[in-house]
Amino acid sequence: MSMVRFEGVTKRYSDGRSGSKEALSQVDFELAKGEFAFLTGHSGAGKSTLLKLMMQMERPSKGQVYVDGVSLNTMKASQVPYLRRKIGVVFQNHQLLFDRTVFDNVALPLLIAGYQPAEAARRVRAALDSVGLLGFEHRNPIELSGGEQQRVGIARAVVNKPKLLLADEPTGNLDPELSEEIMNLFLRFQQVGVTVLIATHDIALIERMGHRRLVLDHGRLYEHSTQHASSAGDDHGL
Amino acid sequence: MASKPLKTSNAGASAHNISIKDRLSGWGQQHQLVAVETLMKLLTKPLGSAMTWLVIAISLTLPGAMWMTLDNLSQLSNRFQASGSMNVYLQPGLNENDAQALLREIRTRDHVAAASYISATQALAEFRDSSGLGDALDLLPENPLPGVIVVEPDLGAPQNDVKGLADTLKTDGRVDDVELDAAWLDRLHALLALSERIVWVLGALLALAIVLVVGNTIRLSIASRVDEIRVIKLVGATNAWVRRPFLYTGLWFGLVGGLLSWVLLVVGWLLVSGPVEDLARLYGSEFELQPLGAGAALVLLLGAMLLGWIGSWWSVFRHLHQIEP
Ligand SMILES: Nc1ncnc2c1ncn2[C@@H]1O[C@H](COP(=O)(O)OP(=O)(O)OP(=O)(O)O)[C@@H](O)[C@H]1O
Ligand SMILES: [Mg+2]
Repeated sequence: MSMVRFEGVTKRYSDGRSGSKEALSQVDFELAKGEFAFLTGHSGAGKSTLLKLMMQMERPSKGQVYVDGVSLNTMKASQVPYLRRKIGVVFQNHQLLFDRTVFDNVALPLLIAGYQPAEAARRVRAALDSVGLLGFEHRNPIELSGGEQQRVGIARAVVNKPKLLLADEPTGNLDPELSEEIMNLFLRFQQVGVTVLIATHDIALIERMGHRRLVLDHGRLYEHSTQHASSAGDDHGL
Repeated sequence: MASKPLKTSNAGASAHNISIKDRLSGWGQQHQLVAVETLMKLLTKPLGSAMTWLVIAISLTLPGAMWMTLDNLSQLSNRFQASGSMNVYLQPGLNENDAQALLREIRTRDHVAAASYISATQALAEFRDSSGLGDALDLLPENPLPGVIVVEPDLGAPQNDVKGLADTLKTDGRVDDVELDAAWLDRLHALLALSERIVWVLGALLALAIVLVVGNTIRLSIASRVDEIRVIKLVGATNAWVRRPFLYTGLWFGLVGGLLSWVLLVVGWLLVSGPVEDLARLYGSEFELQPLGAGAALVLLLGAMLLGWIGSWWSVFRHLHQIEP
């Protein structure tokens, strides 16, 4: 069964003046459970929109979106929070809360899901450890560098052990070495059964790593057929 | 980092299996946490919310003080009641035996403290003495005065029961008329009832004011936390979870405002009760100004909390749903 399925999805944003324009046109694709895929495309191609549709942050103008076998079109508003708990998401802008510590930021999804504080603390430390920020629990995210903030966002996305991990430009602020480590972290998640979809501009990295590649071009989705898999396997680190 | 042990080994399958018991106790803890957190936030930053507290306190103190005054006045008016006696005029020509029988009957009735019989002859004699008409009265062919039974109602007997007694006596065949000098008392009671109505109306208006003030404060607090709300909704917070801190904040606003108002009422009572007792003593009364009873104070506090909660609920319902990630 597929983790994500789009059927003829069109997304039109109504922007007051020039009528509406299509951010996504007739998108069909499927992500199998446990699959690892990249999503690329020029700026404004519709990558963020595609991810937002899965999070029910936006609704399709046409077509059907399924996540984990459930149709989002018919989903009740009261069920949306539970959908979102299944999905870990890393945003383009990190969306951290600056009125609380790194620890509290990462713990947020666990508190919401009703974890015991002790168990939550254990998981938060594990998640921070996996992004290399173990000593940062009590810092305020505002004091951290862009890359560190991004990693806090990643820790928050994975702390609840989601079934589906979506990342929008997760390595945008990271140096190549750190980018690769983060990608490897995502790979490790995939290896334990998490479905991962990463939107990124970092073509060089994608080429090195191989894996399935979806390309958006002005709202149309193509499968990148020629896989330059080459030596990608060596970099998985596991 | 690549050398770190794998932290994600049990991801996926086990991720969503939290036992019901853990969930429930987690939920309870969450409530506790939010309750304490929101209270702390209010208490550690009192300046931001002090205005709201004061408005609530004043809005509660005004009707509270009026209520206290009325309560005392109606207790006072009940004492006035006790001093009013009742004249039962007997049918002219009622013979002595029937009059004595009626007197005994009246004495056994409820709410009757004492009753005495003044026969027509006695009444005439008294009248002769007090009026100074003397021999002129002898010219009358017969005694024009009826016999009278003077009834003293029980101290503190309710107004309505005393009236009821008068009404039943009036229907007795042996009784000509009953005179209850209570017109001024009726007026006082009507006035008290009217004032009570006014207090209710005023109270309702001020309750509305509290709801609006808390609602507005919560609206501002929501507006300043839009980003935070977006983020927590995005990581799976339900509407109930998002609402919770705001609802607790409303509750605490009510509680603190209610406590302040209670303090104001107590201070007001302390300031006024001394002079009132002095005044009462000048009139030979033992009257003491009663403070707000424990029950009333509890109603005040719970009512304030309820109003705060309604205010925040109203605000949360109007504004929170518009905030979607
Ligand atoms: N809320 C919105 N209202 C109107 N138009 C929007 C909205 N969000 C996105 N768009 C438009 O939809 C198109 C796709 O936007 P989207 O953010 O999905 O692109 P993207 O591929 O993520 O770009 P980037 O790589 O720069 O992040 C763009 O033309 C954008 O202007
Ligand atoms: Mg984008």
